[in-house]
Amino acid sequence: MKILIIEDDTETADYISRGLREYGHTADLAQDGADGFYMATAGIYDCAIVDRMLPAIDGIELVRRLRNAGIRTPVLFLTALRGVGDRVRGLEAGADDYLVKPFAFAELMARLNALARRPPLSDTPTTLRLADLEVDLLKRTATRAGERIDLQPREFRLLEFLLRHADRVVTRTMLLEGVWDFHFDPKTNIVETHISRLRGKLSRAGREPELIHTVRGSGYILRLPGV
Amino acid sequence: MSDFFLPKIFGTTSFRLAGIYILVFLISSLVMGATVFFVARVALQRQMEARIATEAAFLQAEYRDDGLDRLLSLVRLRGRGASALDYLVQDKSGRHLAGEMPSAAAVPTAGWVTLTTPQASEDGGRPERVRALVSDLGDGLLLGVGDDLRGIDAVEESIGTAFAWTVGLMILLGIGGGTLLSRAFLARVDAISRTVEAIIDGDLTRRVQVRGTSDDLDRLAMTLNRMLDRIGVLMESLRQVSTDVAHDLRTPLTRLYQRLEEARSHACSAAEYQVAIDAALRETEGVLETFSALLRIAQVEGASPKLGFSAVDLSMVADAVADAYQLDAEEAGHHLMVEVTPGVVIHGDQELLTQALSNLVENALRHTPAGTRIAVQLTEDAAARPALTVEDNGPGVLPPDLPHLTRRFYRAERSRTTPGNGLGLSLVAAVADLHGAALDLADAKPGLRIRLSFPATALYPIE
Repeated sequence: MKILIIEDDTETADYISRGLREYGHTADLAQDGADGFYMATAGIYDCAIVDRMLPAIDGIELVRRLRNAGIRTPVLFLTALRGVGDRVRGLEAGADDYLVKPFAFAELMARLNALARRPPLSDTPTTLRLADLEVDLLKRTATRAGERIDLQPREFRLLEFLLRHADRVVTRTMLLEGVWDFHFDPKTNIVETHISRLRGKLSRAGREPELIHTVRGSGYILRLPGV
Repeated sequence: MSDFFLPKIFGTTSFRLAGIYILVFLISSLVMGATVFFVARVALQRQMEARIATEAAFLQAEYRDDGLDRLLSLVRLRGRGASALDYLVQDKSGRHLAGEMPSAAAVPTAGWVTLTTPQASEDGGRPERVRALVSDLGDGLLLGVGDDLRGIDAVEESIGTAFAWTVGLMILLGIGGGTLLSRAFLARVDAISRTVEAIIDGDLTRRVQVRGTSDDLDRLAMTLNRMLDRIGVLMESLRQVSTDVAHDLRTPLTRLYQRLEEARSHACSAAEYQVAIDAALRETEGVLETFSALLRIAQVEGASPKLGFSAVDLSMVADAVADAYQLDAEEAGHHLMVEVTPGVVIHGDQELLTQALSNLVENALRHTPAGTRIAVQLTEDAAARPALTVEDNGPGVLPPDLPHLTRRFYRAERSRTTPGNGLGLSLVAAVADLHGAALDLADAKPGLRIRLSFPATALYPIE
């Protein structure tokens, strides 16, 4: 992936670009909003990481101008602000995701992967598939090898989220936001218990192989093992 | 100081008010005085003219009946009286026949005239002014009857003098009274500013003196004192928070320090370093979490209710939170009961309400043993006031601890060993405050009952 980092704090910018290169991506850096806007208008980036508070042009304003200029590059906001309405304002301006500092690099990576490969909104599928697992989004049913899996509504949403992000790591906070709409971190094991319950239902009665895998230190991934 | 005193007293509100009063009073007195003056003058003149006219008519009648000699003798006789009028009889050639009035030659026609004697009169340096009625008796014979205007002038003069004295005295009294009043006022204002100066300099225990007269200054002083009390309370809680923050963060930071120290001196293999680094990272995460929880509380406490508020389906929030924790509760052996009145909509912040309720449920899960029944309840009373209740039948909280539960970092003795940072209920309290809801913590006998009572939904303008 070719990623644009718009961040005025050199230490954070270095940390991100070093990490991205380690994962085999290329990263360009802009130190302020004006430069960042100019570089982003080139439209050659798969994703942009934008700091919320920038010199010259503020992050929110930058994203708004990009969207007005018709640049659809996915934008992930990086911010120290965790205010009541901050996240909403960022997303309303046209950003696609929002990550609060300090963050783990694995979290940033998982979100970038999710953003860059997000399918265009127009061809929303009504059925999601992975190997012998099939989920009908209209009938709200899930089957594995043709066999019906009985799911609670919340479990269904969890499976749907995992399938939409199949083959990509999803973090605990991504699940909390996407499945439960919790924009804070509960101290209990909501995610863990639901994942283990879902795992159990998916692999019950000799349904093989295991599809939900734990990625240590990052989160979970739904995929066929060995692919 | 005395150099400052005069300009300062002129600048006081009471002095300015006194000045304005004096001015208004002065103008009205002048208007009143002038009116009195003119009314008196007109009345006196009319009286005088009536007397003159009567006398002239009498003399005319005598002349018609008895002829010129009778007239001349009458004039001479009457002119001699003490409080007599002035007379003049003059023939057609202008010759003076009788009377002492100055010559009316200057007035060729009959009618009212005012004459001035050119020579100084006997009793003063002033020229004598006479008001006279001149009547034509026929054949060019003129009769003049007049009266000295000095009497009226004297009355007018004394009215003027009395007036000047009154006004002068009034101005003096006004300035004196204004100064005295202003000085008293100024002294009290100065006392208030001295107290405030002392408070600015750091003595927060000082209060403005209240005299107990419940006048406007007293009320101001009482308001100031109430404000100072409030500031004092806020400062105290701020101090408390900073102390708590410092104290509570020292523990994990010390542990972090010890772990790293130990790794440096004892770890030999990469695996051992890995373990130490993992532990240090976990410790750091905990500290960061505490910080962001504190920040979040501060943001909620400082937030304006108008920002980010919208119609929130509280029933949905309650269902969603209960649903999220249902599995967790089961795994931990708790019974999570949910009883939600559907369709309760309030004006608020959905994210914060969700987090507040989650914190309450989490608290109940964390601080009670397996087998405890936890009930989440959303009700609405007859006045459409929603209430969100989380109740458990666990060991509960000791009554003395109840009022302190919402304090930052406060952890009752029993919960010291369970994980958590002691900030959960502080956030709930802040969220309740933001929504104008009352937070009530009570002994459920057994267990703990926490209730959030929202204001009536009818009060919210939901568009």
